[in-house]
Amino acid sequence: MTATLAPSADTWTIGAPRLLAGLDRFETLDLPRHLATHGALPPTDRDRLIGLVDAIALAGRGGAGFPFAAKLRALAGPPREVIVNGSESEPASRKDRTLLRHTPHLALDGAVAVATAMGGRHVTIAVHDPAAALALRRAIAERRDPVRIRVERVAGGFVGGEARAVRRAVRGGPAIPPGRRVHLTDQATLLANAETFAQVAVALRLGPHRFRDTGSSAEPGTTLLTVGGAVTRPGVVEAPLGTPLGIVLSAAGSAPQPRAVIIGGYHGSWHAPLPHLRLSHADGRLGAGVVLVLDGSTCALGELARVTAWLAAQSAGQCGPCRFGLPALADDVAALLVGLPAPGAVRHAHAVTGRGACRHPDGAARFVTSALAVLGDEIERHRFGGCGRPMLGQLAVPA
Amino acid sequence: MTHRLDIDWTRCAGHGLCAELLPGQIIRDEWGFPVLPERPVAPGELAGARRAVALCPALALRLEHR
Repeated sequence: MTATLAPSADTWTIGAPRLLAGLDRFETLDLPRHLATHGALPPTDRDRLIGLVDAIALAGRGGAGFPFAAKLRALAGPPREVIVNGSESEPASRKDRTLLRHTPHLALDGAVAVATAMGGRHVTIAVHDPAAALALRRAIAERRDPVRIRVERVAGGFVGGEARAVRRAVRGGPAIPPGRRVHLTDQATLLANAETFAQVAVALRLGPHRFRDTGSSAEPGTTLLTVGGAVTRPGVVEAPLGTPLGIVLSAAGSAPQPRAVIIGGYHGSWHAPLPHLRLSHADGRLGAGVVLVLDGSTCALGELARVTAWLAAQSAGQCGPCRFGLPALADDVAALLVGLPAPGAVRHAHAVTGRGACRHPDGAARFVTSALAVLGDEIERHRFGGCGRPMLGQLAVPA
Repeated sequence: MTHRLDIDWTRCAGHGLCAELLPGQIIRDEWGFPVLPERPVAPGELAGARRAVALCPALALRLEHR
Protein backbone atom coordinates (compact mmCIF):
# COMPACT_ATOMS: atom_id res chain seq x y z
CA MET A 1 0.00 0.00 0.00
CA THR A 2 1.50 3.27 -1.05
CA ALA A 3 0.05 6.57 0.02
CA THR A 4 0.07 9.08 -2.75
CA LEU A 5 -0.94 12.67 -2.72
CA ALA A 6 -4.19 13.46 -4.41
CA PRO A 7 -3.62 14.16 -8.11
CA SER A 8 -6.45 16.64 -8.53
CA ALA A 9 -7.97 19.58 -6.75
CA ASP A 10 -7.77 18.19 -3.24
CA THR A 11 -7.58 21.58 -1.62
CA TRP A 12 -8.74 23.06 1.64
CA THR A 13 -8.08 26.21 3.56
CA ILE A 14 -7.59 27.51 7.07
CA GLY A 15 -9.28 30.90 7.20
CA ALA A 16 -10.53 32.67 4.10
CA PRO A 17 -8.98 31.54 0.81
CA ARG A 18 -7.09 34.00 -1.35
CA LEU A 19 -5.12 32.02 -3.91
CA LEU A 20 -7.64 29.20 -3.76
CA ALA A 21 -10.68 31.50 -3.81
CA GLY A 22 -13.42 30.17 -6.08
CA LEU A 23 -12.15 26.58 -6.09
CA ASP A 24 -14.83 25.60 -3.58
CA ARG A 25 -17.39 26.25 -6.33
CA PHE A 26 -15.50 25.55 -9.54
CA GLU A 27 -13.04 22.86 -10.62
CA THR A 28 -11.13 25.46 -12.65
CA LEU A 29 -11.41 29.21 -12.97
CA ASP A 30 -11.59 30.22 -16.61
CA LEU A 31 -11.27 33.94 -17.39
CA PRO A 32 -14.91 34.95 -16.66
CA ARG A 33 -14.88 33.00 -13.37
CA HIS A 34 -11.46 34.36 -12.51
CA LEU A 35 -12.64 37.94 -13.03
CA ALA A 36 -15.89 37.28 -11.14
CA THR A 37 -13.90 35.87 -8.21
CA HIS A 38 -10.94 38.25 -8.08
CA GLY A 39 -12.00 41.33 -10.05
CA ALA A 40 -9.95 43.12 -12.69
CA LEU A 41 -6.20 43.54 -12.22
CA PRO A 42 -5.37 47.18 -11.36
CA PRO A 43 -2.52 48.78 -13.32
CA THR A 44 0.81 49.37 -11.62
CA ASP A 45 4.29 50.70 -12.35
CA ARG A 46 7.80 49.89 -11.20
CA ASP A 47 7.89 52.05 -8.08
CA ARG A 48 4.40 51.20 -6.92
CA LEU A 49 5.02 47.49 -7.49
CA ILE A 50 8.27 47.49 -5.49
CA GLY A 51 6.58 49.55 -2.77
CA LEU A 52 3.72 47.06 -2.58
CA VAL A 53 5.97 43.98 -2.52
CA ASP A 54 8.07 45.65 0.18
CA ALA A 55 5.01 46.57 2.25
CA ILE A 56 3.75 42.98 2.29
CA ALA A 57 7.29 41.56 2.88
CA LEU A 58 6.73 39.00 0.13
CA ALA A 59 9.22 36.14 0.42
CA GLY A 60 9.68 33.82 -2.55
CA ARG A 61 7.67 30.61 -2.38
CA GLY A 62 10.05 28.30 -4.20
CA GLY A 63 11.85 27.21 -1.06
CA ALA A 64 14.60 29.71 -0.33
CA GLY A 65 12.30 32.49 0.90
CA PHE A 66 14.32 35.20 -0.83
CA PRO A 67 12.68 38.66 -0.57
CA PHE A 68 10.94 39.30 -3.87
CA ALA A 69 11.41 43.08 -3.60
CA ALA A 70 15.20 42.55 -3.53
CA LYS A 71 14.94 40.58 -6.76
CA LEU A 72 12.98 43.37 -8.40
CA ARG A 73 15.42 46.03 -7.21
CA ALA A 74 18.42 44.05 -8.42
CA LEU A 75 17.27 44.22 -12.03
CA ALA A 76 19.54 46.69 -13.76
CA GLY A 77 16.99 47.49 -16.45
CA PRO A 78 13.97 45.98 -18.16
CA PRO A 79 14.15 42.19 -17.82
CA ARG A 80 14.78 40.32 -21.05
CA GLU A 81 12.48 37.65 -19.73
CA VAL A 82 10.29 37.05 -16.71
CA ILE A 83 10.34 33.34 -15.85
CA VAL A 84 7.61 31.74 -13.78
CA ASN A 85 9.05 28.62 -12.20
CA GLY A 86 6.18 26.17 -12.02
CA SER A 87 8.34 23.10 -12.54
CA GLU A 88 7.79 21.97 -8.95
CA SER A 89 10.49 19.33 -8.84
CA GLU A 90 10.18 18.69 -5.09
CA PRO A 91 8.58 15.24 -5.33
CA ALA A 92 6.05 15.62 -2.52
CA SER A 93 4.93 19.10 -3.54
CA ARG A 94 1.65 19.63 -5.39
CA LYS A 95 0.90 23.27 -4.65
CA ASP A 96 2.26 24.88 -7.83
CA ARG A 97 0.65 22.42 -10.22
CA THR A 98 -2.63 22.71 -8.30
CA LEU A 99 -2.49 26.48 -8.59
CA LEU A 100 -1.59 26.39 -12.30
CA ARG A 101 -4.09 23.65 -13.20
CA HIS A 102 -7.08 25.10 -11.41
CA THR A 103 -6.57 28.86 -11.23
CA PRO A 104 -4.01 29.58 -13.96
CA HIS A 105 -4.95 33.22 -14.45
CA LEU A 106 -3.65 34.23 -11.03
CA ALA A 107 0.02 33.43 -11.71
CA LEU A 108 -0.40 34.80 -15.26
CA ASP A 109 -1.76 38.08 -13.87
CA GLY A 110 1.19 38.37 -11.50
CA ALA A 111 3.78 37.60 -14.16
CA VAL A 112 2.23 39.98 -16.69
CA ALA A 113 1.97 42.75 -14.09
CA VAL A 114 5.60 42.28 -13.00
CA ALA A 115 6.89 42.13 -16.58
CA THR A 116 4.91 45.21 -17.63
CA ALA A 117 5.86 47.24 -14.56
CA MET A 118 9.54 46.42 -14.95
CA GLY A 119 9.52 47.16 -18.70
CA GLY A 120 9.77 43.56 -19.87
CA ARG A 121 7.96 42.10 -22.85
CA HIS A 122 8.43 38.37 -22.49
CA VAL A 123 7.04 35.94 -19.94
CA THR A 124 8.01 32.27 -19.92
CA ILE A 125 6.25 29.75 -17.71
CA ALA A 126 8.35 26.66 -17.01
CA VAL A 127 6.25 23.64 -16.09
CA HIS A 128 6.74 19.91 -16.01
CA ASP A 129 3.17 18.80 -15.29
CA PRO A 130 1.28 18.26 -18.59
CA ALA A 131 -2.12 19.17 -17.10
CA ALA A 132 -0.71 22.46 -15.82
CA ALA A 133 0.77 23.21 -19.24
CA LEU A 134 -2.59 22.53 -20.89
CA ALA A 135 -4.49 24.72 -18.41
CA LEU A 136 -2.01 27.54 -18.93
CA ARG A 137 -2.21 27.37 -22.71
CA ARG A 138 -6.01 27.47 -22.52
CA ALA A 139 -5.87 30.41 -20.15
CA ILE A 140 -3.38 32.34 -22.29
CA ALA A 141 -5.68 31.91 -25.30
CA GLU A 142 -8.50 33.57 -23.33
CA ARG A 143 -6.45 36.65 -22.43
CA ARG A 144 -5.19 39.71 -24.22
CA ASP A 145 -1.89 40.72 -22.71
CA PRO A 146 0.62 43.43 -23.62
CA VAL A 147 3.47 40.90 -23.33
CA ARG A 148 4.29 37.64 -25.09
CA ILE A 149 3.71 34.59 -22.92
CA ARG A 150 5.03 31.14 -23.72
CA VAL A 151 4.69 27.89 -21.85
CA GLU A 152 7.84 25.80 -21.78
CA ARG A 153 7.69 22.14 -20.76
CA VAL A 154 10.83 21.33 -18.82
CA ALA A 155 12.14 17.92 -17.85
CA GLY A 156 11.31 16.53 -14.43
CA GLY A 157 13.82 15.42 -11.87
CA PHE A 158 14.65 16.96 -8.55
CA VAL A 159 17.60 19.12 -9.61
CA GLY A 160 15.81 20.14 -12.84
CA GLY A 161 13.61 22.56 -10.90
CA GLU A 162 16.50 24.41 -9.32
CA ALA A 163 16.29 28.05 -10.40
CA ARG A 164 19.48 28.13 -12.46
CA ALA A 165 18.64 24.80 -14.08
CA VAL A 166 15.27 26.22 -15.13
CA ARG A 167 16.96 29.32 -16.60
CA ARG A 168 19.14 27.01 -18.64
CA ALA A 169 16.29 24.76 -19.71
CA VAL A 170 14.05 27.57 -21.01
CA ARG A 171 16.95 28.67 -23.22
CA GLY A 172 17.13 25.21 -24.73
CA GLY A 173 19.98 23.94 -22.56
CA PRO A 174 20.04 20.91 -20.31
CA ALA A 175 17.89 21.09 -17.15
CA ILE A 176 20.86 20.71 -14.81
CA PRO A 177 22.48 23.37 -12.64
CA PRO A 178 25.52 25.14 -14.11
CA GLY A 179 28.87 24.84 -12.36
CA ARG A 180 29.70 28.51 -12.49
CA ARG A 181 28.51 30.56 -9.57
CA VAL A 182 25.86 32.92 -10.90
CA HIS A 183 24.09 35.33 -8.62
CA LEU A 184 20.38 34.94 -9.07
CA THR A 185 19.76 38.62 -8.96
CA ASP A 186 22.35 40.20 -11.22
CA GLN A 187 21.02 38.93 -14.50
CA ALA A 188 18.71 40.33 -17.10
CA THR A 189 16.07 37.73 -16.38
CA LEU A 190 13.77 37.61 -13.40
CA LEU A 191 12.79 34.19 -12.11
CA ALA A 192 10.41 33.43 -9.29
CA ASN A 193 8.15 30.62 -8.16
CA ALA A 194 4.60 30.37 -9.57
CA GLU A 195 2.98 31.00 -6.17
CA THR A 196 5.10 34.12 -5.71
CA PHE A 197 3.57 35.62 -8.88
CA ALA A 198 0.09 34.55 -7.77
CA GLN A 199 0.65 36.33 -4.46
CA VAL A 200 1.58 39.48 -6.40
CA ALA A 201 -1.71 39.23 -8.31
CA VAL A 202 -3.62 38.96 -5.01
CA ALA A 203 -1.69 41.87 -3.47
CA LEU A 204 -2.26 44.16 -6.46
CA ARG A 205 -6.00 43.71 -6.04
CA LEU A 206 -6.13 43.94 -2.25
CA GLY A 207 -3.54 46.66 -1.74
CA PRO A 208 -1.04 46.51 1.12
CA HIS A 209 -3.51 47.29 3.93
CA ARG A 210 -6.11 44.67 3.13
CA PHE A 211 -3.35 42.19 2.28
CA ARG A 212 -2.18 42.55 5.89
CA ASP A 213 -5.64 41.58 7.23
CA THR A 214 -4.40 38.02 7.63
CA GLY A 215 -1.08 36.43 8.47
CA SER A 216 1.49 37.62 10.99
CA SER A 217 2.72 41.18 11.29
CA ALA A 218 6.21 40.20 10.09
CA GLU A 219 4.83 38.10 7.25
CA PRO A 220 1.30 39.03 6.24
CA GLY A 221 -0.90 37.02 3.94
CA THR A 222 -1.30 33.32 3.30
CA THR A 223 0.84 30.50 2.01
CA LEU A 224 0.24 27.26 0.19
CA LEU A 225 1.29 24.00 1.79
CA THR A 226 1.26 20.45 0.54
CA VAL A 227 0.33 18.19 3.44
CA GLY A 228 0.82 14.45 3.03
CA GLY A 229 1.82 11.19 4.61
CA ALA A 230 -0.20 9.76 7.51
CA VAL A 231 -3.05 12.28 7.49
CA THR A 232 -6.72 11.76 6.70
CA ARG A 233 -6.98 14.93 4.59
CA PRO A 234 -3.89 15.14 2.40
CA GLY A 235 -3.76 17.87 -0.18
CA VAL A 236 -2.90 21.46 -0.90
CA VAL A 237 -3.76 23.80 1.94
CA GLU A 238 -3.93 27.58 2.03
CA ALA A 239 -3.27 28.92 5.52
CA PRO A 240 -2.38 32.29 7.03
CA LEU A 241 1.33 32.81 7.70
CA GLY A 242 1.95 32.62 11.43
CA THR A 243 -0.47 29.71 11.89
CA PRO A 244 0.99 27.17 14.35
CA LEU A 245 1.99 24.03 12.48
CA GLY A 246 0.12 21.92 15.05
CA ILE A 247 -3.15 23.55 13.96
CA VAL A 248 -2.46 22.68 10.33
CA LEU A 249 -1.68 19.08 11.23
CA SER A 250 -4.76 18.57 13.40
CA ALA A 251 -6.90 20.09 10.64
CA ALA A 252 -5.27 17.64 8.23
CA GLY A 253 -6.26 14.74 10.47
CA SER A 254 -2.83 13.78 11.70
CA ALA A 255 -2.51 11.52 14.74
CA PRO A 256 -2.04 13.71 17.84
CA GLN A 257 1.43 12.22 18.45
CA PRO A 258 2.94 11.52 15.05
CA ARG A 259 6.16 9.51 14.98
CA ALA A 260 7.89 12.24 12.99
CA VAL A 261 7.02 15.29 10.93
CA ILE A 262 9.11 16.28 7.93
CA ILE A 263 9.11 19.98 7.19
CA GLY A 264 10.38 21.23 3.84
CA GLY A 265 9.99 18.04 1.82
CA TYR A 266 12.80 15.73 0.76
CA HIS A 267 15.39 18.47 1.16
CA GLY A 268 13.89 19.36 4.53
CA SER A 269 14.24 18.13 8.10
CA TRP A 270 12.72 15.44 10.28
CA HIS A 271 11.31 16.54 13.62
CA ALA A 272 10.11 14.60 16.65
CA PRO A 273 8.36 15.87 18.55
CA LEU A 274 6.78 18.55 16.45
CA PRO A 275 8.58 21.86 17.00
CA HIS A 276 6.56 24.88 18.09
CA LEU A 277 6.76 26.35 14.65
CA ARG A 278 4.56 28.96 13.08
CA LEU A 279 4.26 29.11 9.31
CA SER A 280 6.97 31.40 7.99
CA HIS A 281 9.06 31.65 4.85
CA ALA A 282 11.59 34.10 6.24
CA ASP A 283 13.82 31.48 7.86
CA GLY A 284 13.64 29.06 4.93
CA ARG A 285 12.70 26.10 7.15
CA LEU A 286 9.35 25.62 5.48
CA GLY A 287 11.00 25.28 2.07
CA ALA A 288 8.36 25.09 -0.63
CA GLY A 289 5.72 24.28 1.99
CA VAL A 290 5.74 20.49 2.05
CA VAL A 291 4.74 18.98 5.41
CA LEU A 292 4.75 15.18 5.73
CA VAL A 293 3.58 13.10 8.66
CA LEU A 294 4.80 9.64 9.68
CA ASP A 295 2.77 7.72 12.24
CA GLY A 296 3.71 4.73 14.38
CA SER A 297 2.29 2.11 12.03
CA THR A 298 5.07 2.19 9.43
CA CYS A 299 8.76 1.25 9.55
CA ALA A 300 10.27 4.72 9.72
CA LEU A 301 13.77 3.51 8.89
CA GLY A 302 12.40 1.72 5.82
CA GLU A 303 10.68 4.93 4.74
CA LEU A 304 13.96 6.79 5.18
CA ALA A 305 15.91 4.14 3.25
CA ARG A 306 13.55 4.30 0.29
CA VAL A 307 13.61 8.10 0.05
CA THR A 308 17.40 8.22 0.49
CA ALA A 309 17.88 5.73 -2.35
CA TRP A 310 15.59 7.87 -4.49
CA LEU A 311 17.52 11.04 -3.59
CA ALA A 312 20.78 9.34 -4.58
CA ALA A 313 19.24 8.36 -7.92
CA GLN A 314 18.19 11.98 -8.46
CA SER A 315 21.78 13.21 -8.60
CA ALA A 316 22.45 14.61 -12.05
CA GLY A 317 25.82 12.89 -11.72
CA GLN A 318 27.81 15.90 -12.78
CA CYS A 319 29.54 16.60 -9.45
CA GLY A 320 31.77 13.90 -7.96
CA PRO A 321 30.96 14.28 -4.25
CA CYS A 322 27.20 14.02 -4.98
CA ARG A 323 27.61 11.22 -7.53
CA PHE A 324 29.60 9.04 -5.14
CA GLY A 325 28.56 10.45 -1.79
CA LEU A 326 24.78 10.12 -2.07
CA PRO A 327 24.90 6.40 -3.03
CA ALA A 328 27.31 5.88 -0.10
CA LEU A 329 24.83 7.63 2.18
CA ALA A 330 21.98 5.49 0.79
CA ASP A 331 24.07 2.37 1.48
CA ASP A 332 24.63 3.55 5.06
CA VAL A 333 20.87 3.89 5.65
CA ALA A 334 20.24 0.53 3.97
CA ALA A 335 22.79 -1.03 6.34
CA LEU A 336 21.01 0.43 9.39
CA LEU A 337 17.75 -0.98 8.07
CA VAL A 338 19.10 -4.53 8.11
CA GLY A 339 20.64 -4.03 11.54
CA LEU A 340 24.24 -3.39 10.56
CA PRO A 341 26.29 -0.49 11.89
CA ALA A 342 26.90 2.41 9.52
CA PRO A 343 29.82 4.30 11.02
CA GLY A 344 30.35 6.33 7.83
CA ALA A 345 26.86 7.89 7.66
CA VAL A 346 27.60 11.18 9.35
CA ARG A 347 30.94 11.50 7.56
CA HIS A 348 29.30 10.87 4.17
CA ALA A 349 26.59 13.44 4.90
CA HIS A 350 29.27 15.94 5.81
CA ALA A 351 31.32 15.05 2.74
CA VAL A 352 28.59 16.01 0.28
CA THR A 353 27.49 19.21 1.99
CA GLY A 354 28.46 22.38 0.15
CA ARG A 355 30.34 20.42 -2.51
CA GLY A 356 28.18 20.59 -5.60
CA ALA A 357 26.91 22.94 -8.27
CA CYS A 358 23.49 22.98 -6.64
CA ARG A 359 22.06 22.29 -3.19
CA HIS A 360 20.76 18.79 -3.90
CA PRO A 361 23.54 17.06 -1.93
CA ASP A 362 23.12 19.55 0.94
CA GLY A 363 19.37 18.95 1.07
CA ALA A 364 19.73 15.17 0.89
CA ALA A 365 22.35 15.23 3.66
CA ARG A 366 20.11 17.39 5.84
CA PHE A 367 17.20 15.00 5.26
CA VAL A 368 19.26 11.97 6.32
CA THR A 369 21.11 13.48 9.29
CA SER A 370 17.93 14.99 10.74
CA ALA A 371 16.20 11.62 10.33
CA LEU A 372 19.00 9.72 12.04
CA ALA A 373 18.84 12.21 14.92
CA VAL A 374 15.17 11.39 15.60
CA LEU A 375 15.29 7.67 14.77
CA GLY A 376 17.90 6.56 17.31
CA ASP A 377 15.51 4.12 19.00
CA GLU A 378 14.42 2.70 15.63
CA ILE A 379 18.06 2.09 14.72
CA GLU A 380 18.45 0.22 18.01
CA ARG A 381 15.38 -1.93 17.29
CA HIS A 382 16.75 -2.84 13.88
CA ARG A 383 20.08 -3.77 15.46
CA PHE A 384 18.23 -6.30 17.60
CA GLY A 385 15.79 -7.97 15.22
CA GLY A 386 13.79 -5.17 13.61
CA CYS A 387 10.87 -2.92 14.47
CA GLY A 388 8.24 -5.45 13.41
CA ARG A 389 6.33 -2.95 11.33
CA PRO A 390 5.85 -3.00 7.56
CA MET A 391 7.13 -0.15 5.40
CA LEU A 392 3.82 1.36 4.31
CA GLY A 393 5.15 3.96 1.91
CA GLN A 394 3.79 6.94 3.83
CA LEU A 395 6.55 8.94 2.13
CA ALA A 396 5.69 8.72 -1.53
CA VAL A 397 8.45 8.56 -4.12
CA PRO A 398 7.83 9.04 -7.83
CA ALA A 399 7.81 5.85 -9.85
CA MET B 1 41.04 41.55 -0.36
CA THR B 2 40.96 37.85 0.51
CA HIS B 3 41.50 34.96 -1.85
CA ARG B 4 39.73 31.65 -1.63
CA LEU B 5 40.11 28.46 -3.59
CA ASP B 6 36.92 27.28 -5.23
CA ILE B 7 35.94 24.36 -7.42
CA ASP B 8 33.56 24.01 -10.33
CA TRP B 9 32.23 20.62 -9.24
CA THR B 10 30.73 19.99 -12.67
CA ARG B 11 34.26 19.98 -14.10
CA CYS B 12 36.33 18.37 -11.35
CA ALA B 13 37.14 14.74 -12.16
CA GLY B 14 39.22 14.10 -9.06
CA HIS B 15 42.62 13.98 -10.77
CA GLY B 16 44.14 15.07 -7.48
CA LEU B 17 46.87 17.28 -8.89
CA CYS B 18 45.78 20.21 -6.70
CA ALA B 19 46.20 18.10 -3.57
CA GLU B 20 49.69 17.09 -4.76
CA LEU B 21 50.65 20.69 -5.41
CA LEU B 22 49.05 22.19 -2.29
CA PRO B 23 49.55 19.54 0.40
CA GLY B 24 49.01 21.95 3.26
CA GLN B 25 45.77 23.27 1.86
CA ILE B 26 43.94 20.58 -0.09
CA ILE B 27 43.30 16.99 0.95
CA ARG B 28 41.29 14.34 -0.90
CA ASP B 29 38.08 12.69 0.25
CA GLU B 30 37.53 8.93 0.10
CA TRP B 31 36.50 9.18 -3.56
CA GLY B 32 39.55 11.24 -4.50
CA PHE B 33 37.84 14.62 -4.77
CA PRO B 34 39.53 17.64 -3.26
CA VAL B 35 38.50 19.00 0.14
CA LEU B 36 39.18 22.72 0.28
CA PRO B 37 40.38 24.59 3.35
CA GLU B 38 37.79 26.65 5.21
CA ARG B 39 40.22 29.52 5.62
CA PRO B 40 41.26 31.98 2.91
CA VAL B 41 44.53 31.53 1.02
CA ALA B 42 47.35 33.18 2.99
CA PRO B 43 49.47 35.74 1.14
CA GLY B 44 52.48 33.41 1.22
CA GLU B 45 50.42 30.62 -0.38
CA LEU B 46 49.11 32.73 -3.23
CA ALA B 47 51.79 31.92 -5.81
CA GLY B 48 51.38 28.19 -5.21
CA ALA B 49 47.60 28.45 -5.39
CA ARG B 50 47.82 30.31 -8.72
CA ARG B 51 50.11 27.60 -10.08
CA ALA B 52 47.67 24.86 -9.02
CA VAL B 53 44.79 26.72 -10.67
CA ALA B 54 46.78 27.05 -13.89
CA LEU B 55 47.73 23.35 -13.88
CA CYS B 56 44.30 21.87 -13.03
CA PRO B 57 43.75 19.41 -15.89
CA ALA B 58 39.97 19.86 -15.76
CA LEU B 59 40.06 23.68 -15.41
CA ALA B 60 37.93 23.15 -12.32
CA LEU B 61 40.07 24.81 -9.67
CA ARG B 62 39.83 28.56 -9.43
CA LEU B 63 40.86 31.37 -7.16
CA GLU B 64 38.18 33.81 -6.12
CA HIS B 65 38.88 37.14 -4.57
CA ARG B 66 36.42 39.42 -2.94
